[in-house]
Amino acid sequence: MRAEARFFKSLADETRLKILWLLLEGGELCVCDVIGALGITQSKASRHLRYLYHLGWVTDRREGLLMNYRLCVPPGSPGEKQLKLLAEMLDSLPEAQALRAQLHDWLGKKRQPQVRATAGDKEESWIKTFS
Amino acid sequence: MKNEAQLFKSLADETRLRILWLLMAKEELCVCDIMGVLSITQSKASRHLRYLYHLGWVNDRREGVWMNYRLSVAPGSPEDKQLKLLADILGSRPEAQAIRDRLDQWLSAKSQPTSESAAACRCS
Repeated sequence: MRAEARFFKSLADETRLKILWLLLEGGELCVCDVIGALGITQSKASRHLRYLYHLGWVTDRREGLLMNYRLCVPPGSPGEKQLKLLAEMLDSLPEAQALRAQLHDWLGKKRQPQVRATAGDKEESWIKTFS
Repeated sequence: MKNEAQLFKSLADETRLRILWLLMAKEELCVCDIMGVLSITQSKASRHLRYLYHLGWVNDRREGVWMNYRLSVAPGSPEDKQLKLLADILGSRPEAQAIRDRLDQWLSAKSQPTSESAAACRCS
C-alpha cells in the first residue's frame, strides 16, 4: 500500500491543497497565478507544482518562459474521486472561499494591464522579469 | 486548510492505512490482533493507533491489559466518505486482500484456546 500512502502524502500539505483548490476553480493556471493568488514565492510554487506533476495530479504546458498547469486525473480514477471529495470538504471552508475570491481578483487584475501595474511589487516585478 | 492537510497526513503512512483497512473489516479489534496480523511490534501498533485515536478516526475500549479499537467516524462526515473512498481504492489491491485473509486466519486461530494467537492475546 506504499503507492496509496504516497498518494495521501501528496495531499498532506496545506500549500498543495490550496494549489489543487485553485486548479479545481481556475482550469489552467500559470505559475504566476499560483504565486499571485497564494502570495507565495516562485520557488515554493514551482516546487509543489512539480511534486503534484510527478504524482500525476497535474499536467504542464510551457508558454514562453512560464509554465502552465492543469489537473489531469482520468475520469473515474481514484485521483478524480479524491479530488471531488476534496472539493466537497473544502467548499464549506471560509478560508477556501477567500482563496477563490483572491484567485478571481488576481485574474481580473491580470487582464487589465493598467491595474496590473499597481499590483503587489513582488508579483509585478516577477512578471516583468519573465514576460 | 490545516485540518484537511492533517487528515491526509494521517493517511500518508502504510501501517496506518493497513490498520484502517483491518478495522473496516471488523467491528472491533484488539491491539494484539493488529500486531499479529501485520506482524508489527506492540509499540508500533500502539503508536499508530494512538495517532489515529487523536485524529478522531478510532475509539478505544480497555479490556483487561489490552486496548480495543474501532472506527469512530460519524456517518456522512467527510472522514466517513474518505474511508469509503479508501476502501474503494484498496479493494482492488491483492496486497489488501491478503491482509484481510490473514485477519480471518488470525481470528479463527484465536478462537481456539490452545493456539499461538490465543496465547499471544492473553499475555500482557
